[in-house]
Amino acid sequence: MKPAVFSLEQPVSVAQLMQSGEGRIVAGGQSLGPMLNFRVAQPSHVISIAQIREFSLVEETEDAVIIGACVTHAAIADGRVPDIGKGILPAIAQGIAYRAVRNRGTIGGSLCHADPAADWLCTMTALGAAVLTLRPDGGRTIPLTTFVLGPFRNALQPGEIVQAVRVPKASPEARWGYYKACRKPGEFAHAMAAVFLDPARDIHRAVIGAVGGAPIVLEGSDVRIESAERALLQSGLDEIGRIMQLAALRRAMEQAA
Amino acid sequence: MTITLKVNDLAVSAEVAPRTHLADFLREDLLLTGTHIGCEHGVCGACTVLLDGEPVRSCITLAATCAGRDVKSIEGLERDPVMAALREAFSAEHALQCGYCTPGMLVTARDIVLRLPDADEDRIRLELAGNLCRCTGYNGIVRAIRRVLSHRPEVTAPSLPPVTRGTFRQFSLDDAAAPPAAQISAKFTGDGLHETLSIALPPEQVWVALRDPALIASCLPGATITSRDGDRIRGEMLTSLGPIQARFKGDATLTYDDMARTGRIAGSGRDTASGTRMQAEATFRLVGNGPAASTVEIDLTYALKGPLAQLGRGPIVRVFAAELAAMVARNLEARLRGEETPGAGAALHAGGLISHVAWRWLRDLLSRFHVR
Repeated sequence: MKPAVFSLEQPVSVAQLMQSGEGRIVAGGQSLGPMLNFRVAQPSHVISIAQIREFSLVEETEDAVIIGACVTHAAIADGRVPDIGKGILPAIAQGIAYRAVRNRGTIGGSLCHADPAADWLCTMTALGAAVLTLRPDGGRTIPLTTFVLGPFRNALQPGEIVQAVRVPKASPEARWGYYKACRKPGEFAHAMAAVFLDPARDIHRAVIGAVGGAPIVLEGSDVRIESAERALLQSGLDEIGRIMQLAALRRAMEQAA
Repeated sequence: MTITLKVNDLAVSAEVAPRTHLADFLREDLLLTGTHIGCEHGVCGACTVLLDGEPVRSCITLAATCAGRDVKSIEGLERDPVMAALREAFSAEHALQCGYCTPGMLVTARDIVLRLPDADEDRIRLELAGNLCRCTGYNGIVRAIRRVLSHRPEVTAPSLPPVTRGTFRQFSLDDAAAPPAAQISAKFTGDGLHETLSIALPPEQVWVALRDPALIASCLPGATITSRDGDRIRGEMLTSLGPIQARFKGDATLTYDDMARTGRIAGSGRDTASGTRMQAEATFRLVGNGPAASTVEIDLTYALKGPLAQLGRGPIVRVFAAELAAMVARNLEARLRGEETPGAGAALHAGGLISHVAWRWLRDLLSRFHVR
């Protein structure tokens, strides 16, 4: 199908963006595009932020990598963005959808879209990432655990936009694992789990994605199957789905062991 | 709006509507029909073209966002040496039958040859996962790509520049909790959910309310009854979840058993914008717990078919339904107590509501599991 009629604005700078009217923000359009074509989303005004140069930058600090919202999955997969250590970011990016989608899809767009089955949503939550927002009067740093409110819902207020995501660097002795179950590579996952263990920074975390709502976060001694089993009861998954999730978690834990 | 861009090495200036995607622009405006449209939602890969040298899905790329850029469709790759080798190999290895997927396959294959010169069969298959072919079973396509990789023409892949370094303005941390809302209380069953609602009112009073469809509808935000004929009700329901909006119109049949204090509502509806169809059935049972306490047991089953079902996958819809059920329960209780119902009458902003519910649940979960 074809999208319903909408008007389009393409600001090229943050200053221009702040002058924009109200509209549905689109970055790479790899999730919103299909929704527009299906007409399950019919915004009257669309603001494309892909041309905003400030959002396509990357900054490396002593303890973190800050990735602009419009940096593509492909740029991360190719190592064109500094890694946080252990090859974590390229490994995750490489598994997102297909190359043609990775060339357009962006990390900021993926996090804002908050599809429960999104790779970045699950893994960035595990890595303790936070989004940096901008709004006319300043901005905020929002940890992903509070940024994602539910499926396709985030904590942004009207007029507020994600400019970048701040990902803390991993210690040299950090361990991690990520496993997702797809019927075909690149499809929406039926189960996914990320495990991140960084004792030097006192982090023991497992995150289960592809559930009905926001990702399930398990911390400390709850990084174990029994705790996940209990948490999954309210996830909207049927029994087979829950069993798949536990298998994904087991495999991610084995990778991180 | 007017855009100027390069298509197959020629400068093109054209008037495009904002909603026109690149595939339609190439096919309908420039008559470059080599680009095929299959699924038109980014899954099948038939429409893959090069944008600034990189493969992209032209069906989910707006033409208007390609201003100033360099587009190459299959027609523009006629003299490309890698494409020449691929065409020959596709022919020799029977890598096509109907040819519908072929333009997209060739563009993806060219990317594999250039970007992954050492790709083995497994890697080729992995990279081809985003291009569907219903004729060949992929064997011929994989063989053709392997053939070209083993006698690769003398070309080097264009190297992509590193992402430019810069600095971001950082602001203070805000990890404050979202405002609390109702919590999911439903139990998920095989194909639906079970909700138990406790109301501190006599069962007689609750039953009278349950017998009033208008009152029940007013407890479901976004729902309106447009007409009623006996036990048949026509109505519509407006919902939204993030960028997703749907307006379901349909009808339902309501039946009551006054002796047993049970009832059943079954209906179906359709969202005309997307063509999504929904069927739902709810049975309820009222039980008195003494003179001033009642329990309503509700079993809900539903089925969604069409685009919304595809985008809103099973678990998401289940959580959505559970949150709706929690909303109805809360509003019904408030109504019966004679209080104002917060969202009644207004369009259902299930997204907002749901998010609060999901948020609360997540927070509870965190408090339960946060041990470190």
